[in-house]
Amino acid sequence: MAKIERSQKLFLKALKEKFQGQDVESETTKFYCFDGVRQSPRKREFMKATEAIEKERGISMYDPERCHLGGIPMGQRQLMTYEVSGTGTLVEGDDLHFVNNAAMQQFWDDIRRTVIVGMDLAHQTLQKRLGKEVTPETINEYLHILNHAMPGAAVVQEHMVETHPGLVDDCYVKVFTGDDEVADDIEPQFLLNIEKLFPAAQAEELKAEVGKSMYQAIHIPSIVSRTCDGGTTSRWSAMQIGMSFIAAYRMCAGEAAVADLSFAAKHAGVIQMGSHLPARRARGPNEPGGIAFGLFSDIIQANRKYPDDPARASLEVVGAGCMLFDQIWLGSYMSGGVGFTQYATAAYTDNILDEFTYYGMDYLKDKYGYDYTSPAGDATVKPTQEIVNDLAGEVTLNAMEQYEQFPTMMEDHFGGSQRAGVIAAASGLTCSIGTGNSNAGLNGWYLSMLMHKDGWSRLGFFGYDLQDQCGSANSLSMEPDRGLIGELRGPNYPNYAMNVGHQGEYAAIVGGAHYGRGDAFCLNPLVKITFADPSLKFDFAEPRREFARGAIREFVPAAERSLIIPAR
Amino acid sequence: MAYTPQYGPGTSVVAANRRKQMNPGQELERMRSITEEDVVLVLGHRAPGSAYPSAHPPLAEQQEPECPMRKLVAPTEGAKAGDRVRYIQFADSMFNAPSQPYQRTYTECYRFRGIDPGTLSGRQIVECRERDLEKYSKELIETEMFEPARVSLRGATVHGHSLRLAEDGMMFDMLQRCVLGEDGVVRYVKDQIGVPLDRPVEVGKPLDEEWLKAHSTIFHSLVGTAYRDDEEYVEYVKRIHSLRTKYGFIPKEE
Repeated sequence: MAKIERSQKLFLKALKEKFQGQDVESETTKFYCFDGVRQSPRKREFMKATEAIEKERGISMYDPERCHLGGIPMGQRQLMTYEVSGTGTLVEGDDLHFVNNAAMQQFWDDIRRTVIVGMDLAHQTLQKRLGKEVTPETINEYLHILNHAMPGAAVVQEHMVETHPGLVDDCYVKVFTGDDEVADDIEPQFLLNIEKLFPAAQAEELKAEVGKSMYQAIHIPSIVSRTCDGGTTSRWSAMQIGMSFIAAYRMCAGEAAVADLSFAAKHAGVIQMGSHLPARRARGPNEPGGIAFGLFSDIIQANRKYPDDPARASLEVVGAGCMLFDQIWLGSYMSGGVGFTQYATAAYTDNILDEFTYYGMDYLKDKYGYDYTSPAGDATVKPTQEIVNDLAGEVTLNAMEQYEQFPTMMEDHFGGSQRAGVIAAASGLTCSIGTGNSNAGLNGWYLSMLMHKDGWSRLGFFGYDLQDQCGSANSLSMEPDRGLIGELRGPNYPNYAMNVGHQGEYAAIVGGAHYGRGDAFCLNPLVKITFADPSLKFDFAEPRREFARGAIREFVPAAERSLIIPAR
Repeated sequence: MAYTPQYGPGTSVVAANRRKQMNPGQELERMRSITEEDVVLVLGHRAPGSAYPSAHPPLAEQQEPECPMRKLVAPTEGAKAGDRVRYIQFADSMFNAPSQPYQRTYTECYRFRGIDPGTLSGRQIVECRERDLEKYSKELIETEMFEPARVSLRGATVHGHSLRLAEDGMMFDMLQRCVLGEDGVVRYVKDQIGVPLDRPVEVGKPLDEEWLKAHSTIFHSLVGTAYRDDEEYVEYVKRIHSLRTKYGFIPKEE
């Protein structure tokens, strides 16, 4: 284990922007002189907005100078801005709470409102049971009808209510297949063209996985899944699929074969983004707690756009995963309040995790000859315990030293949970990318946690006492608890279900194993193809950039209700 | 089988300091003196001189069930009297504060009885019966476990352990519970939860950087001892991790 030198620290620019006019390596600073909460333009905006709200509703609201700590408001130290990593965009911390960020809301909307439904079972029913002909022409006609029906329009019945297209314009259905000839006959507006969307090697791998089968990538209206829940998605889509088959293939609405089509659309042929959770979590399918880490890494598309930079691709998963699993799932579904955002944003702001991760990439190249810019399965390093310990140990020591050498960076990540998540993430990513093995990555994570705890005699909040100090025993070897490979673990995996600052990083560690091998997908090729769709409101190849656009109020979401409310 | 605690690995001064604090056979250096009344004031749980509020009658007045554990474990004074359970909580600066969260917990477990410690990144709390707490608190404040500028008592709003220091060398505390006077003495003007005190409580003068570096229990490559330089310590942690990975929590080697 020997330290290597990196001349350019990726976090320096952000630190200099945040702490303008200060020496970022100094150990001292001024406090108690910043005019409290009023130093932040966003907090001032909140206070001004409150004045108008209170006048209108007659009930008190945001009052930080009276209500915070009995009259001592936030801002006795400098309230920092944040650079969303990899974007160069500086934002207010408040703007990274999902309530204040339309892109974050749309990110989750776009996942929750998505299901994939196979067409093979339905086509077999039509052909074998009913003797009807299925051709590219009938499929195109069916898709035309389905794109009329899916947003909430009638296709068979008389005198039906329907939804306003302006409210559901984000709803549509496309199809994909691994059969080039069939794909050529599908109208381009309805086709997810694997050839055009993916780099050549990835396209070949994905087409081979899909084969001659055809799948529908379905996105129901955001407004529907937002008003109901993730479990609605397959039900809404199945109803409209059934009605569209009846209309397209001139079926009898009540004939028994319709039940086969419904069964295929609701159960046999449907792929949910999240599996059903146990009763104690009280959530149906397509909710965040049921999304397997491997599947989540397939939702994120950065490895499609940046196939030769597995670190970048993994860091995008970290950002997206921390937002969904920490801020929305644990932070609101499971807990409540606003605190989780402060934990989660540490992993995708100020290029700190990025710097630690690229240090790991340089170390991999320097010591083991693995060149992360040319990812390939046969280039990866054998995941032995010794190598995992070396990689995770060195990345952890380097990260701790960087925090020590730059006191402003320590101040930036002022909570131990923030630092623990970031340091362990860099360690885990280095191990998974370099070895192509997700469980080796998780094992690196846990060594990092143990080293961190012993080095600084502190780690994160109480929860870190559980999973991070027993994780060694359930990661590289699955024998002790008959566990799962990382791809199949998820936010509700035992021990993973309660801790902020972990799940997004775990997802990225899993993804990194495949990005490091140059794989086209991690767990599910169908999901990878579905989220490559450029028609989606949210660009899943650039989640951090999208979140930054949301923070600076440039992102345009779906499901706006201005059409049906009084003009303001 | 007689068990001899080893109190942790390492060849560095940090490792030695950790072992010293944990080992009840070693006396901690007494750095300052603070009266019992002052301890009660900064804790903020009861007014000095007032009776201890109780959670249950004294054990002697209770009908204790027949129980071998009760015969084996002698109650502490606080438990015997039926005191309620209260706390003391510390925030320790990462700039070489003499004790640090896990270190505090380990030390307290070795040195005190009847305690319930909780360990986080920015603070460490220990809860116990009130009269036991006052005794333990006095030791935690008077000895080398404490340093007036880099350690502070904080019941809530603990933010500061990882921040840069103020220009006068004090750890940030948004409530400014303690302040450095012009005479160089640190005084608590609020109790640990932030309620203003009727009179300030002196906890002495901050110690110099040399003392801090020599007594710290945190590795720090900028202001103290680099973790990387204590190779024995790093190897020990890796070994524990490897054994747990291969054998779960039955650590044996083939």
